[in-house]
Amino acid sequence: MTWLVWRQYRLQFFLGAALLAAFAVLIVITGVQAADQWHAAQACVASHGCQNLFLGNHAVGFLVISTLGAPVLVGLFWGAPLVAAESEAGTTHFAWMQSVTRRHWLTVKVGWMLLAAAIWGAVISALVTWWSGPDNALQLDAFKTGRFDIMGIVPVAYSLFALALGIAAGALVRRVLPAMAITLAGFIAVRAVIAIWLRHHYLSPVTAYYSVTSAFTPKGAYWALASGVLFPNGQPIDQNSNGNVLDGIPVTYLPASCNQTQRGPFAPPPSCTQALAHFRGFLTYQPADRYWTFQGIESGIFLVLAAALIAVTAVTLLRRDA
Amino acid sequence: MTWLVWRQHRIQYLIGAALLATFAVMIVITGEQVSHQFHTVQGCVAGHGCRDLGGLFMGSKVVGFLVIATLGTPVLVGLFWGAPLVAAEAEAGTTQFAWMQSVTRKRWLMVKIGWMLLAAAIWGGVISALVTWWASPTNAEQLNQFDPGRFDIMGLVPVGYSLFAVALGVMAGALLRRTLPALAITLAGFIAVRVVITLWLRSHYMSAVTTTASVLSGSTPKGAYWQLASGVLSPNGQPLPQADNTPYFDGIPQTSLPGACSVMNGPNAPNNPPSACVQALSHYHAYLTYQPADRFWAFQGIETGIFVVLAAAFIAVTAVTLLRRDA
Repeated sequence: MTWLVWRQYRLQFFLGAALLAAFAVLIVITGVQAADQWHAAQACVASHGCQNLFLGNHAVGFLVISTLGAPVLVGLFWGAPLVAAESEAGTTHFAWMQSVTRRHWLTVKVGWMLLAAAIWGAVISALVTWWSGPDNALQLDAFKTGRFDIMGIVPVAYSLFALALGIAAGALVRRVLPAMAITLAGFIAVRAVIAIWLRHHYLSPVTAYYSVTSAFTPKGAYWALASGVLFPNGQPIDQNSNGNVLDGIPVTYLPASCNQTQRGPFAPPPSCTQALAHFRGFLTYQPADRYWTFQGIESGIFLVLAAALIAVTAVTLLRRDA
Repeated sequence: MTWLVWRQHRIQYLIGAALLATFAVMIVITGEQVSHQFHTVQGCVAGHGCRDLGGLFMGSKVVGFLVIATLGTPVLVGLFWGAPLVAAEAEAGTTQFAWMQSVTRKRWLMVKIGWMLLAAAIWGGVISALVTWWASPTNAEQLNQFDPGRFDIMGLVPVGYSLFAVALGVMAGALLRRTLPALAITLAGFIAVRVVITLWLRSHYMSAVTTTASVLSGSTPKGAYWQLASGVLSPNGQPLPQADNTPYFDGIPQTSLPGACSVMNGPNAPNNPPSACVQALSHYHAYLTYQPADRFWAFQGIETGIFVVLAAAFIAVTAVTLLRRDA
């Protein structure tokens, strides 16, 4: 059976391996440049005097962002045709009449595919994580939506999920093109819903309050969820205000001594500072040290979804009359 | 033949129409909110007094994400309408049957491709019209519709991209006669052509304009210009290296300036540099290479033309391949 899987899919595996190799060459070459630049720039980073410091190459930076879409490729081109292409061509009739049981046929095929998908996701993620190391250290944005999704262990889970979704869609619909369309739409929908609405609820966020006259920044690459300013009575100030503001407070709520130029360094007079001291800023965020917990939770969710989809496939195929 | 095309592809057309309708509803609802927001903030935009203009995001974040994602919508018609057009029939063997009928092969191809191209143009046109309308307050505020990534989802070019994607899919399917490889080639080819043209060719459609001005005054072209390069020229006219590893002031490394300028990078920088510093700065000129804002539609036209010509070439290759092939 393993030999059969290899014969059937060697072209797809070679293509995947060639893409990975080409990506690795680009990443390693530009990543070494970025690391050099980063070392050279340490001095001005420390003094915040760098202007427009971009590390690495723009075209490869674009490629790195586009690895957001890499997991769904295995779902489309490896997963969806796995059962559907054989159903369409009628070769399942032949395959399931052999001495190999249908369960064994499915287990071996799905098993090798899952292994290949995990390698695909892991190699891409390892390269991207390494490449983005200096960028993360500079921008402290590894936890942000869109960056979180292309680094660490989540790309492996996304790849397994995409593959399982493709296989399940192919087994249920039995036609390749509709299965691919469902895989693409389903992957985007599940990823968007989880990234936008679910992820920030994995652990309850931390809210910090501080005086608006002093600044507050949590350490490391934290994930800011909400921020704003509270009135002295504790009500949040509407941030969609359309007037002039100072330290996040509309100047209409402040004494006239605060109403000076907003440009350049401005040390408010004491009467203004006193009024400002009654306002408190707040920042709701996920601390930087929760990064790997969030990676683990997100990966777990996608692995469970992948397992459920594989189970659906197995039930569908093992119960279906050949 | 038209009836046959409708029967064969009605599910694809209906799914496409349903997606467009859903997208239109979301865009219209959030677009109304955006333009309302934009009118309320006119005051602080004009006075540059908004707390944090970068943070002033107009419209729903989810729909904003969807709008950026329309970068990928043209390739969908190439994948799901274009690639299977010939390849699926070749795989199933139905071309054998279709080409034996009283309808000639040329007519079969012309009617099928004609309707597909029309559908692709509608797909690209409707999406682009919605996105262009939705993004107009953001464009007015950020002046960025000429930047790569924004230019690509507005105006005419999405129609050109959609026609190109369908033609690429049809040709790949006709050459390979298998759907899956044709899909993979359509996806890879679309991304490759788009990236090469966007990153390396587009900036050369017309020769760029370069202006120089004293670093003290600065100059910003009006409207949504597309910045290609910028930097500072030393007093002898050489561009200064932008190596980024020393402190800079007005784009000039502090090491090239008198000590009087160094307070400007300190924690308690005054509003205006000391006069010794101003005098040193006045010898430096800033340059800006850009495409002016009023070339936006010329660039849209050129880019659309390139993709339409590519699409026509692909259709010609398809026709030659299919009409010469033995059934």
